Amino acid sequence: MVNKDIDFRQVALEHLDALYGFAMVLTRNQTEAEDLVQETYLRAMRAFGQLVPDSNLKSWLFTIMRNIWRNQIRHIRSGPQFVEISSDELQSNSSAYFESDQDPHMLLVRKVEQETVRAAIEKLPEHFREIIVLRDLENFSYQQIANILDCPAGTVMSRLARARTQLNILLNQWQNLATQR
Amino acid sequence: MLEVNYCKRIQEQIALYLDDELEGQEKIEVQTHLQTCESCKQTYEQVKSLLTQIHQIKPLYPAPITLRKSIEKILDDAPSPYQASPELHNKVLAILETAKESKERKASKLYYKKVFVALAATLVIFVMSFSYWINYNKSISNSTSEFALMAVDTHLRHQKGQLPLEINSNSAEDISKWFANKLSFGVKLPNYQEVSGQEKLYQLEGGRLVGFKNDYAAYISYKMQNRPITLVVTSSSVATPSGGEEIISKGLTFHYSVIRDLKVISWTDRGLTYALISDLAERGQQSCIVCHSGTEDKDFIDGLKIKS
Repeated sequence: MVNKDIDFRQVALEHLDALYGFAMVLTRNQTEAEDLVQETYLRAMRAFGQLVPDSNLKSWLFTIMRNIWRNQIRHIRSGPQFVEISSDELQSNSSAYFESDQDPHMLLVRKVEQETVRAAIEKLPEHFREIIVLRDLENFSYQQIANILDCPAGTVMSRLARARTQLNILLNQWQNLATQR
Repeated sequence: MLEVNYCKRIQEQIALYLDDELEGQEKIEVQTHLQTCESCKQTYEQVKSLLTQIHQIKPLYPAPITLRKSIEKILDDAPSPYQASPELHNKVLAILETAKESKERKASKLYYKKVFVALAATLVIFVMSFSYWINYNKSISNSTSEFALMAVDTHLRHQKGQLPLEINSNSAEDISKWFANKLSFGVKLPNYQEVSGQEKLYQLEGGRLVGFKNDYAAYISYKMQNRPITLVVTSSSVATPSGGEEIISKGLTFHYSVIRDLKVISWTDRGLTYALISDLAERGQQSCIVCHSGTEDKDFIDGLKIKS
């Protein structure tokens, strides 16, 4: 919650890692993610006076970031298209992921480590990636996510369930492939 | 079969439970069931393990040092959000200068008298507004009955998909039968549409039990032109409508209030307390037709209209 008397700078900086993580999930590109974070802070600084007292600053920053990204996407779509990985492609892609690696034993170790989960999240389509990050990493409530994504809370619930199912399938597939090798 | 359906319903709620999106009776129901059902407990552990795995990768991508530095610079360079712009600052200075000159010119008794009267009037208005604001807030906080709050909460949670109906039916008779023996009071839903054969103005969707004061209340869901209406019924021994605007119609006192942007009408009649929730126009009086759609009840519904 924001008390306007507190130092905006200090509170805003606390959310930098979270915002950068969300920016990476949206853009999948370090340079674009950094630009997105900077733009988010600039806009937040300009609009801070409009923030209702006791609002959730973190949720507000995430909403600003997603709105900037959605606007950028509209412009980008007039140029080259960004191709999402559909759920049907996941199986073949997950095999490719293993084919490309030289050491299956190392993969098995990595799988149980954080990198596997991160890689699995990256393989998800954007609308699944963002909802997993907002709920399972950033702990936003369903209602807060609904506000950030500008959709009904019911949609958040169903989309989150599908995202988790797909992530679980992916992790299990990788685990099975690693065990077979 | 009944047990399988129950487990299925619990398993659907496990993620909501782990996400801390369940409250009250539903939360207790899941907790209790998990203590006795191995199959559901296993599902719970699987979902929990996945969520722990995901949570452990936080931060997903730590911000690079260079980015942190540039953000710090943005925050340091920018003026405080509450600092007046230089333009505004100059304007205020100019106004103060003009006022000072004007004051020197008009330093007469009459001038000061006028200023005093204006200040006194401002002070009176301020004190009156402040006391009204205090009383207004007091009346709002005192007005809302616990039952009405619970009814609104269940209505919203049902809309979010967190409170699925336990009986899905458009038959008033079937739903009344389903509630029989489950509640400490009797609920018999009227259905003027079925009796009169009139055009269907609303659809009955179904019902479920909701916990209130260590007992169950009846939750009945309707739709009117795709807009949800909820009727929650409990015994008047555990809930008394209170606060809000009181409207007396046909010998009953209706309490009307707006809670979380929803229109709430609550009342007690023949040992039962009702709360009717909708987002319909005015006081939401059109929602009354779920029980009073006969033409003889038009006066009754009109009684709740906002008088122009």
